[in-house]
Amino acid sequence: MSTAPNQIIDFLSASAPFDHLPNNERERIAKQATLIYLTQTNKSVLLAQSQCLFLIQSGQFSVKDSDAPQRHLSEGDYFGIDGLIDRVDYALDVHVDMPGLVLCITHSSMYEAMQSAAFANFFTNAKSEALPNQAVLDSNSMWLHKPLAEVLNKAPVKADQAMDIHRAASLMAEQNVSSLLVTQNGKLVGIVTDRDLRNRVVATAAPLTRPISAVMTEDPVKISHNRTLFDAMSLMGEHNIHHLPVVENGAEKPIGMLTASDIVRHQRGNILFVIGELSKAQNLYELTRASWQIPHYFAMHAKRPGDFDIAGKVLAQATDIMTRKLITFYQQQQGAAPMAYCWVVYGSQAREDQSMGSDQDNALLLAHRPDRLEAEYFSGLANYVCNGLAKCGIALCSGNIMASNPDLRLSLDDAIEEARQWVRQPTPKAIMTFNIFLDARAAAGDTALFKRLQAARAPLLQQRSFLAALARHNNHISVPLSVFQKFVFEKGGNDEDAIDLKKNAVAIINNIVRLYALASAVSMPSTLARLDNLPETAGLVRKDAENLRDIWLFLNRLRWRHQLTRNVVDNRVSMSELSSIEKHQLKAAFKAIDRAQQAAVMKYSGGIS
Amino acid sequence: MLLWFLRWQRLRGHTFDQLPKGLAKQPLSAVPLLAVDLELTSLDVANAQVLSVGWVEGSGSQIDLSSCNYQIIYSASDLQQSPVIHGLTDEVVRRGDNIKTVIEMLKKYVGTHLFVLHNTQLDMSVLNRAATSLGVYIPCVVTLDTLRLAVYHLKKQHELVPPDSATLAACRRRLQLPAAPAHNALDDALATLTLWFAQQHIMDPKHQLCVKDLLHTGALQLYSLGGRVTTANQMR
Repeated sequence: MSTAPNQIIDFLSASAPFDHLPNNERERIAKQATLIYLTQTNKSVLLAQSQCLFLIQSGQFSVKDSDAPQRHLSEGDYFGIDGLIDRVDYALDVHVDMPGLVLCITHSSMYEAMQSAAFANFFTNAKSEALPNQAVLDSNSMWLHKPLAEVLNKAPVKADQAMDIHRAASLMAEQNVSSLLVTQNGKLVGIVTDRDLRNRVVATAAPLTRPISAVMTEDPVKISHNRTLFDAMSLMGEHNIHHLPVVENGAEKPIGMLTASDIVRHQRGNILFVIGELSKAQNLYELTRASWQIPHYFAMHAKRPGDFDIAGKVLAQATDIMTRKLITFYQQQQGAAPMAYCWVVYGSQAREDQSMGSDQDNALLLAHRPDRLEAEYFSGLANYVCNGLAKCGIALCSGNIMASNPDLRLSLDDAIEEARQWVRQPTPKAIMTFNIFLDARAAAGDTALFKRLQAARAPLLQQRSFLAALARHNNHISVPLSVFQKFVFEKGGNDEDAIDLKKNAVAIINNIVRLYALASAVSMPSTLARLDNLPETAGLVRKDAENLRDIWLFLNRLRWRHQLTRNVVDNRVSMSELSSIEKHQLKAAFKAIDRAQQAAVMKYSGGIS
Repeated sequence: MLLWFLRWQRLRGHTFDQLPKGLAKQPLSAVPLLAVDLELTSLDVANAQVLSVGWVEGSGSQIDLSSCNYQIIYSASDLQQSPVIHGLTDEVVRRGDNIKTVIEMLKKYVGTHLFVLHNTQLDMSVLNRAATSLGVYIPCVVTLDTLRLAVYHLKKQHELVPPDSATLAACRRRLQLPAAPAHNALDDALATLTLWFAQQHIMDPKHQLCVKDLLHTGALQLYSLGGRVTTANQMR
C-alpha cells in the first residue's frame, strides 16, 4: 500500500499556500514529490532535475533562481517558483550554507494545484512583492460585519398559515412585535406586518376569522442567518422593507425577524458609540465609567481586520474627548484660563495609532511665559487632566512626557527656541529625547497657537543635516530578520517566539514616513495621512508609499488582534498566533520595511549609517 | 596493542569477506538504500509481534516518495499497549496483511539494497523469528544501523554515551533535522533514512567512501533470516 508519510503531509499542512489545499490533494502532491538532503557536494546532481518547486524543510541556502538578486532562505521558504510561473528554465544557483532537507514538488503537481486561483495568487503576489491585503479596501465599520446569528436576540414569533387573523393579531400584541412569520409545516411562507393588518384587514373590513394566509405577504424577501448585518441592510434598502425574516441556511426554517429598529439599536455596537457616551459625561465619575467600557467595546465589536484599522483612530479620538472634558471640568471649578493655551499631544495619540497599552504623551503650549499665578493655574490644570486621564485608563507616561511636567509647559517662543536647539545639536542622545515631539497634534485649547508653532518649526526641521542625523538614528533599530530570513525573537518574556511588532516594525515605518514628511513640510502627524499627502517630489514612489501603508495596516491588525484576543496591552505578538500565510506576509513586510529603511538612509544621510 | 590490531584485522576481514561483492565497493553516495522500520507489540524479542512495517527506497541523498510503503500486519494476539502507542487498534490489525507477504516483498531488495534501520538488532531478530516460523530463508541481508553509527560518533565525544542520546529523535535533533512524528513505521523509516543522509554528509562530505569503509564503525551488519522450518511456535 503506497502511502504518504505523515511528516510530509504535516510539513505541507504547515506551509502556505499548501495549508489551504484539500487533504487529498496534499496527499497526492506528497506522493509525487521527492525529498532530498541537499549539500554543497550533491547540489549539482540533485538540482539538475526537471522543474520543481523546492520547499525547504531544514537547512540554510543562498539561492538565485531568477533575475532577482540572491536570497538567503531557510525552513518554510521556497525557491524555483519563478521558472514554474514564467515557464522558463532559469538557471538555479544555490549555495548550501547549512545542509538540510528540501521537498521537491513536481511541476505537474504544481500546475494542477495552481488551477485554484487562491493557490496561484499566493505565488504571483509573492513574486510582485505585493502584500495580499485585499481586505485593506474593505469597509471599516465594525458593527456592519456582525453575523446575523449574533444580532437576533428574540425567539421567532411565528404562526401557522391556518391561524385566523384575530388570533394572529393577538399573538403579535402579546409578544409585542410589529411583524409575524407565517409558516406551513415549519417552513416560512409569508410575513404579516402591522401595516398589512391596517391596509388589508382594517381598511377593507376583512372578517377576522379568515386565515392569516389571506392577508400575508407571500414569499417575502429573506436572508440566511450566516450573512452579516451589512448584507441585511443592503437587502432592506434595496427592497425598501422594514422587516426581514432570517432563515436557517439551506432550509426555509425561520429563526428570527430583523427589523429596522434592530438595526438602529445595533448601531450602539459601533465602537464610535463610545465617543458619544464619553461626550455625554457630566463629571469625572461618568467620564471614567464610560472610559472603562472602551476595552469591552473593542473586544466585543472588533471582529474583522478592517475593524482594527480604525480602532487606533477611535481610541485617539476618545482620548482627545476625555482631555477636552477634563479641561472643561477643571475650568468649571477654577475659572477660565488666564491666557491662550493649547493642549498638544504627541506620539501614538498624535499619530492616531493608539493601542490599549499606549500611555499618555502631552504638553501645554502657552501664549507667553506665565507669571507665578498663571503658572500655578496651568500646573493645576495639567495635573488634574493627566491624573484624570490616568483614571480613565490612559496610563501616566513613564518617561514623564506629560503636561504635568513643568518643562513641558513652554511658551510659544520658548518652544520655537527649543526646536532650534534640536536642530543645532542633533546628537543621538538628544534625538532620543525629542524624537517623540516630532509627531504632534493639538487636542484642545487654541489650535491657532499650535499652528504658529508648527509653521515656525517646519523650516527648521527641514534642514538636511538634521534629517541626516534623524535618518542615521532611525537606522539603529532594524527589522527582526536574520540574514537567512529567519525571525529573530525577543529575549525574555513568556513566549519564546514573540516579536514586538510596535518597536521592531511599526515604529520603523513611522520613523521612515516622518523623515519624508519633515523633509516635505507635511504637517499632519498620522503616518497614513502623511503617506497620502506626501507630494510627488518627496522622493517616495507612489507604489512604495502604498506598499508601506498596506504593511502598516497589516502590522496594526496583527497587534490589535493580539491585544484583543489575548486581553493584553503589549505588542509582543507570538509567531504561533499567526497562520502560515500571515508568517509569510510578515516576512515579506519586514523585508520591504528594511528596503525602505535603507532607501531613506541613502536619501537623507548619503548612505552613512 | 598489536594483539588488538590483529584481532581487529581478523574481524574486519571476516565481515568484509561476507559482504556481497556487489555492495561492498559501491560508493556510499550511490548505493541503493531501503529504510525499514517495524512497529512491535513489545520490545521483548522473544514475544514481540509485528504490528506494521514501513519502508522507503532512497539513493544518493534522494528519496522518491512514491516508493513509500506501509503494511499493517494481521495479528490474532493481544495488542497490549500498542493501540496507545502506535494508534493501531484491534480492528485495524485484524484486517491487516499476512507477515509472509511483507517478508516476500522485502526479499526482493536483498542483495541489491543496503537496508537502513535504527536499532537493527531488534527489528532483524523479530523478522528472523517470523521468517523461521514461516520456513522462509533469506541469506545475506546487509544492514546499516544508524543507531550504532550514532553511538560510534558519540563515543568519540563521551566516555559514557549519555542516556537517551541515541534515540532516533535525539540523533535527528543533533544533526538539525526537523522533528518527525514517531511510532508510525513509515514515518520512522523515512526519518531513519534522512538521518542516514545527514550522517553520511558528516562522514563523507566529498563523496569518497564506499560501503565497506563503514565496517570499522560497527554499523554494518550481515543477517540471515529464517533458514529452517520450526514446528513449535508457528507464527501466523
